[in-house]
Formats: sequence, structure tokens, C-alpha cells
Amino acid sequence: MVDRIVAWRDDPDTASRLHRLDHDGGLEILIVAETDLGRRRFQATTENGRPVQVALPRSQRLADGAVLHLDAQLALVVRVGAPDWLDLEPLDSAAALELGYAAGNLHWRVKFSDGRVQVALDSGDAESYLARLAPLDGRFRVVS
Amino acid sequence: MSGNGTAARVGIGGPVGSGKTALIEALLPLLTSAGIETAVITNDLVTREDADRLIRQNLLGEGRVVAVEAGACPHTVIREDPTLNMAAADALEDRFPDLDLILLESGGDNLASTFSLDLVDWWIFVIDVAGGDDIPRKRGPGTIQSDLLVINKSTLAPHVGVDLDRMLTEAEATRQGQPVIVTDCRSGQGVREVAGCLSQAVLFRSL
Repeated sequence: MVDRIVAWRDDPDTASRLHRLDHDGGLEILIVAETDLGRRRFQATTENGRPVQVALPRSQRLADGAVLHLDAQLALVVRVGAPDWLDLEPLDSAAALELGYAAGNLHWRVKFSDGRVQVALDSGDAESYLARLAPLDGRFRVVS
Repeated sequence: MSGNGTAARVGIGGPVGSGKTALIEALLPLLTSAGIETAVITNDLVTREDADRLIRQNLLGEGRVVAVEAGACPHTVIREDPTLNMAAADALEDRFPDLDLILLESGGDNLASTFSLDLVDWWIFVIDVAGGDDIPRKRGPGTIQSDLLVINKSTLAPHVGVDLDRMLTEAEATRQGQPVIVTDCRSGQGVREVAGCLSQAVLFRSL
């Protein structure tokens, strides 16, 4: 079980140690979904198949590059899994307003870029999100 | 188990009357007998009804059940601004440093209720058959995003015209592999399974 973040990948000293361990096959990556970064206690498996139990103090929060274990033989480093985004382009201002309202009403995580609404697919596939927008069919375009 | 100041925090949410407090009442004896040091935080709107109910039953030692009065909006204090509950949990850990587990019961809410992961490590959403077998099909964030969905009051199903098997199948279909457990908290059916699931997820041990 790992019970604290011991270092960060970008610290110069840590980075050189990780580089050496990577050459020796001792660097293991733990993928954590962006939506799970707030968790202090969970179980996960590294890309090499090593099960890891994480129990962090409340004062620490996971982020990309957190080093959970580091010794001469092994390093465990967190990599944040990129979320999938549904990219929607409203066709006019009224549709943009209603799309923004719908996303907020459904508590979706969104960001805005170039007049588009990007919805994080935190809890389902694109079809399940688009189904909630059926009343707006034809008033926005799915970009990706 | 000995505490290390990092007691696991588990949320229990769900609609009014679905059996959140009843689930806690049924879980506590199992957790206690397994040696898991537990405390409970209840959230009510403007009273301490649920906390008083648990205290009256003497399921935990003195001071291990505390109430947070959530005000008018129960999901705000577990999601948008959970600082009241975080402070209550911190205070419990200060007072009882050997705690392994803090259960945080939300005030009764709707299907959109979810917990912030800044507050809890893992959370359960409780629905019940008497609320209607269409609840899973409504795809509320609580039923989809929770780490464990509990369908309670199973024994009432035939009395309220609910096809429990279909309700369970539809619930599992919406949750993409996340667990669903059917319970009847009054009789204890399924409660040990809930306790085991919780224990494995955040205490890393089987019950």
C-alpha cells in the first residue's frame, strides 16, 4: 500500500532517477482517470499489472506526475488518463444558450472553445449524452 | 485495525425514504464485529433526526455520530461546497484517531445527487423498489455515477407491482460494470455483501 506522494516526476533529482529506472525496467505507470483524481483511497493496477492500494492523507491530492513509490529498484508514477470529450457546435445563438443551459442542468463537466461546447464523457458514451439532448436535435452539430 | 489519521470516507446518498439510515443501522453491527472503527455523519435539512435515530440505538460509542444541518439544498453540502462535512469528518478524526471509516449520510435528495470526491473516497447510492422500477431507466447521475448502487426494500416488490429482476437488469445495464446489490435492510438481506464491497474498495480487506 502506498500512503503518500513521495515526489513529483518533474523535480530535477527525481526526473534523473526515474530516467535511470526506466532504462532498467523499474518504472511503472499507474493510469488514473481525471474524474478519479480526488480520491484518496482506491485500488488500481499499473500498466505492468502490479496491483496498488492507494491511501493518501487528506492534505495530498493526486495529479499527473505524482510519484507514489521510489527506491533503487522501482518507481510508481501517476499518469492522468485523458478524458474523452464530446465536441458540440451550436448552429445559432439561441441553440448555444439552450445547449449551455442543458449542460448545466445535467451537471455535465464542460469547457468552451471557439464557439463550441465540449462535454467530458465522465459517465457513459457519446450516444448516452446525445440522447439527453434530443430536444435540441438539428440545432447543433457534433464535431467529434 | 489501527487508525493512521486517514480514515476512509464513504458517502451514502439517495432519495428520501429509500433506506439510507436503515442501511447504516444494518451495516454498523457488521463493521463493528469485523473490528472496523467507524463513525457516522448525518445530513438533515434543518434537524438532526437521522443522527438522533442512530444515537438512540446505541450502535456506536459516544460522540461517534454527529449531525450536519444541510439547510435547504442537501446536495450542495456533499458536492458543490462540502466544507461543512469535511470539517465534521476532520473533527471526528481528531477526536478519534483510531478511526478506520467515516460514513457520511446525505440528506434525502433526488436522482441527480452525487458526492464530491474531495469529500468521500467512494460512495453508495440507495434507491428502493417502492420508488418505482423505472428509476434505473431514468439514468440519474446518482444511479449511474455511484461506486455502488443499492436497490433496497426488495421484499416490497410484489406488493408494489415491481419486477425486481427487470429493475436489476436495467440498473446493471446503465452502470457499465459498476456493482449493484439488492438489499432488504430491515431483514438484513444483502447487507453483508454491501459491507464486503465497501471494505474491499476502501479498506482493502475482505469482511
